[in-house]
Amino acid sequence: MVEKGKIITFRSFEEVPPLPVSLADTLYNKTGGWRYLRPVYEDKRAPCSFNCPSGEDIPVYLGLISQGRFFEAWEVIRFENPFPAVTGRVCPHPCEKECNRNHYGGALSIHRLERFVADIVETELRPAKPLTKPEGPKVAIIGSGPAGLSCAYHLARKGYKVTVFEALPEPGGIMRYGIPDYRLPKEVLMREIAFIEALGVEIRTGMKLGGNLSWGDLRDYAAIFLAVGFSRNRALEIPGEDAEGVIPALEFLKTLNLEGTSKLKGLAGKKVAVIGGGNSAMDAARSAIRLGADVTIYYRRTRDEMPAILAEIEEAEEEGIRMEFLTAPVEVITQNGRVKGVRFIRMHLGEPDASGRPRPVPIPGSEYTVELDYVIPAVGQEPDLSFLDGFDELKVERGRIKVDSSTLAAPRIFAGGDIATGFGTVTHAIGSGKRAALAIDRFLRGEALTGFPPLERNVYAVLRPISETVVRFEDLNLAYYRWEEPLPPKHIPLDKRRSSFEEVNLGFTVEEAIKEAKRCFVCGTCVMCDNCLIFCPDRAISRKENGFGYVIDYDYCKGCGVCVSECPRNALSLREETSVQRGN
Amino acid sequence: METYPRPKLEPNYKLPEEELLKPGHVACPGCGAALAMRLALKALGKNTIVVIPACCWSIIAGPFPYSSLDVPLYHTAFETAGSLSSGIAAALKVLGKEEVTVMAWAGDGGTFDIGLQALSGAAERNENFIYVCYDNEAYMNTGIQRSSATPWLAWTTTTPSDRPKEEPKKDIIAIMAAHRIPYAATATIGYPDDLEMKFRKAKGIKGTRFIHLLSPCPPGWRAESKDSVKLTRLAVQSKVFPLIEVEHGEKWRITVWPEKFVPVREYLKLQGRFRHLTEEQIEMIQRNVDEAWEKLLKLVRESEPCA
Amino acid sequence: MTGNRAVAYGAKLSRVQVIAAYPITPQTTIIEYLADFCASGELKAEFIKVESEHSALAACIGASATGARAFTATSGQGLLLMHELIHWAAGARLPIVLAAVNRAVAPGWSIWTEQNDTLSQRDTGWMQFYVESNQEVLDTVIQAYKIAEKVSLPAMVVLDAFVLSHTSEIVEIPPQEMVDEYLPPYQPQYKLDVNDPRAFGGLVYPSDWTELRYKIQQAHQEALEVAREADSEYGELFGRSYGLLEKYPEDEARVILVTSGTVTSTARDVIDGWRARGEKVSLLKVRLFRPFPSEEVRKALEGAEKVAVIDRNISFGHGGIFAQEIKSALYMAPHRPALFSFVAGLGGRDITPATIEGVLRYTLTHDYPEEDTIWFDLKR
Repeated sequence: MVEKGKIITFRSFEEVPPLPVSLADTLYNKTGGWRYLRPVYEDKRAPCSFNCPSGEDIPVYLGLISQGRFFEAWEVIRFENPFPAVTGRVCPHPCEKECNRNHYGGALSIHRLERFVADIVETELRPAKPLTKPEGPKVAIIGSGPAGLSCAYHLARKGYKVTVFEALPEPGGIMRYGIPDYRLPKEVLMREIAFIEALGVEIRTGMKLGGNLSWGDLRDYAAIFLAVGFSRNRALEIPGEDAEGVIPALEFLKTLNLEGTSKLKGLAGKKVAVIGGGNSAMDAARSAIRLGADVTIYYRRTRDEMPAILAEIEEAEEEGIRMEFLTAPVEVITQNGRVKGVRFIRMHLGEPDASGRPRPVPIPGSEYTVELDYVIPAVGQEPDLSFLDGFDELKVERGRIKVDSSTLAAPRIFAGGDIATGFGTVTHAIGSGKRAALAIDRFLRGEALTGFPPLERNVYAVLRPISETVVRFEDLNLAYYRWEEPLPPKHIPLDKRRSSFEEVNLGFTVEEAIKEAKRCFVCGTCVMCDNCLIFCPDRAISRKENGFGYVIDYDYCKGCGVCVSECPRNALSLREETSVQRGN
Repeated sequence: METYPRPKLEPNYKLPEEELLKPGHVACPGCGAALAMRLALKALGKNTIVVIPACCWSIIAGPFPYSSLDVPLYHTAFETAGSLSSGIAAALKVLGKEEVTVMAWAGDGGTFDIGLQALSGAAERNENFIYVCYDNEAYMNTGIQRSSATPWLAWTTTTPSDRPKEEPKKDIIAIMAAHRIPYAATATIGYPDDLEMKFRKAKGIKGTRFIHLLSPCPPGWRAESKDSVKLTRLAVQSKVFPLIEVEHGEKWRITVWPEKFVPVREYLKLQGRFRHLTEEQIEMIQRNVDEAWEKLLKLVRESEPCA
Repeated sequence: MTGNRAVAYGAKLSRVQVIAAYPITPQTTIIEYLADFCASGELKAEFIKVESEHSALAACIGASATGARAFTATSGQGLLLMHELIHWAAGARLPIVLAAVNRAVAPGWSIWTEQNDTLSQRDTGWMQFYVESNQEVLDTVIQAYKIAEKVSLPAMVVLDAFVLSHTSEIVEIPPQEMVDEYLPPYQPQYKLDVNDPRAFGGLVYPSDWTELRYKIQQAHQEALEVAREADSEYGELFGRSYGLLEKYPEDEARVILVTSGTVTSTARDVIDGWRARGEKVSLLKVRLFRPFPSEEVRKALEGAEKVAVIDRNISFGHGGIFAQEIKSALYMAPHRPALFSFVAGLGGRDITPATIEGVLRYTLTHDYPEEDTIWFDLKR
């Protein structure tokens, strides 16, 4: 048998075989010395994950869904975000805007897949009662909205004893009170809150800081996280807006979600104007139409500038809500203290304002009046800062509590969600609460609160070895992917939509979910597709004996780069050999 | 965090696991021929004798007293791949070892030029071996001189840019088809599943089987080593190198219909050996490629059984 | 039977397993007989009807390397075409036997006998036997396999065109079982074997080359003894042996005539005649040309005052090849006879008894040759 890896030297002619025949193999020849470029396995950040405000490891869980590994997909989401069933329904999905599949058939329906996984797993699973209550230091959280509960969840996972104080009768914050059932059914929200409580988090409702809960009551907590959110409507600042029949959107939605439709039967058959173009405006308008009203949305810019999620706008239009653009109210016309109508003025688009969008400019002399029964202003939210009365340890700037990138506001006091950042979405709030949890954990272990990325970026609670380089479309090798388009969204029938608060969007079936998830490029994440192993002309790549991934035998790798080129998803990088050898 | 669940998706290619090529061989980085041998032997397995006439593989196989293959290998004179393999096949028959596959592994020089006689003789006699021509389109081992497999207008050291190759590439598959051998095919490394299928199929056929393998040479084609596999894909997608089979010189079949068609320019622009081409020349090449494709389609259509 | 038929019988009795050959006059009937043997099943061999002589030897090399006993036959141009691979077979240490029918080399087509074709292969490492009769042809083919397989060197059995190849003589065909006893099946030490995969013939650096070449030379040294033994064993078994050289008669001689091939049998008669007249002349037949039995040649020529060598060949720019080899063997002898180098019979020109008489007369009447090489039958 030919010997392996030996170097053979003949000292005399007697040792030489009678003819030139091989006696060993070429393993003695370490061709790795030829290299000037070195391929390395380097998982990179997918653009969806980079843009996810709650910092989810999206390509990994999409890959798991495509394999039918739903429970593991759910676990991966919940490394970062305890509310997949919520965000899967209400998030404006900036992930999909950046999805590399946009250039090759259409973005992955990431939010629908997130919802699918949450629904299928959580309806099977029952949250287990915790075997041991967490024994760690006590942390108080003010507000049980997405920021507060996210922070509670992450802290509880780390073993901290968390108490959440909530002013309103039920937990959930904006998720419960701001979002109607047809977008986010209450059972779904309660289902996920139950999982958080199962970690040993205590939620005490009916406790308002600055009311029946004082700052003094919080003395014994090792740290405090303020997540009270924006609970007040911004005013229109026009005459007559305090008339009866003018119902600020937040209040309207709160009444609806707290007490049901009974209190609002009066809207049936009435003319309702919703002022504004954001998600709250859509929520209010689409809720009003389900109460039987005749609804028109009035927005001061055009449809293209509406900040609401496009799907919301489209669904609103489908449901029969009219929209008028480039118009703003100047006065609520009242009679006997009750709304009779609104006078509007037409606008045209001028130079861009601070938000980057064109500034609406009133057209003089273009006023007109509309007869209305109800006006629902939905032009933005503000915080209720009354809880800060008599407490001046915190700085407030432009209506928000000033925090640094770790969410620290004052010694041992952290703040997050809208109250600190004003980013305005559930997902951002979840990310913010997680950031605060990571900071509080470090703080309570005496570690420095440095190294947090800026508040506009996301943070990750659980990291696998990954480079933060973001994968671009050009970095992918399209030879291994087919052009495929996503499945269109599915809704319940239109008549049902207009007459009930039943959830409008139907989720994926299992087959649909797997089919859709299979479209994912899984950018930057090795999935062991074997391409690198198959295409190496030098057989320098093999599967790891234990664990996931491959190993490159640098004794033989010549640095040709074929593996890097043929990796469909940019999970390999080529580095300069001399830099690597220097330790860079 | 003990385990982080990771998706493990289906491999793009399911190939036999057995490895019969050893690392430590001295092929250039990104060598198409090294990868081709690795894939071919995966398909054929251990019961294979390889015959290597003078070509790059004479060196890649390793110097005395080493071998980079885990199968028996016979080095032979330049023009004798077809004849020496005939001798081995005859000996195996006489010794009752016909289950052993003989694979001649020759370059384009040793096939299209100096080795054509021996190959033709063996094919006419329908000798029982698989003849593989791994085609890097020039005499690469001796320093990139032109062969009759060099494409029209390509630069080589004997067809410099001032006067690039004037003759078109010899049509070796047509020649082999004219011998009416049981099986002739084209294959390349960019389509490993198609390559594996063809070798496996060839293994199960008796008589002379011929496989023409497009095998990029980064230094000879003046291309980047990392583009080796990509170039073969572009060659197929631009119709420069269709993936086909011919049985008994009569039944023509396209085995891989390109997932998309690309202009030949996309293939040429990655190779420095075509850098000197003018627009007009590229258009001429495109026309030639299109015409050849139409001729192939005609052969394929005529091969289909009548309805 | 003719010499060619004797070749075919020799190969058949040797149980060759792979034959690869290309027709060329005057070898053609060898392969025709072999084709018959194979077709009828008398010989269980694969006969590859290759498309050129170069391919013929290539196929034999492949077959032999795989562990089969391989055989080919050729002549003249065909042998020259094989030249690259003649070197190869020796370097690859493969015991292929080739029957070479001496034929003059073109241009000017000639199909008649001359030794230049085989002698141009003398540097390649092959063993070479020059035979005198059809019986010797058959016997030497069988012996050649035995010797070749023992020392791992290829062997040429050389016979004259037409004089032997196409002329009938009495030939006894030894029984197959006895040949089987003499010549066991071929068992090479190294062969192409999927159970022991090796590479054969890879690149050899200067650091290893000399030793490999030395081993070939060593094998040739060994072959002298092996050939002697094989021939005497053959003699014991079959009653016929030929030696590496033959001195005829063995008695003391003043003048020794050196010949090879069929010239030898003509010379025997002439020598008989001269001896009958009392002249002390003897004949030395050189049978084994490679390895060249220098020691035996020196011994055989001891005591002679003059040596005459008849060469049916010419190395242009020097002289007759057998003469050169003999001179070179005699250089180190304590007593060197005068050596007369004669070239005759080129291109099949008959070497008659008269020619040989003339050669001997010249030798006896001159102290030294007038020229280094005497073209004896040149028309002047």
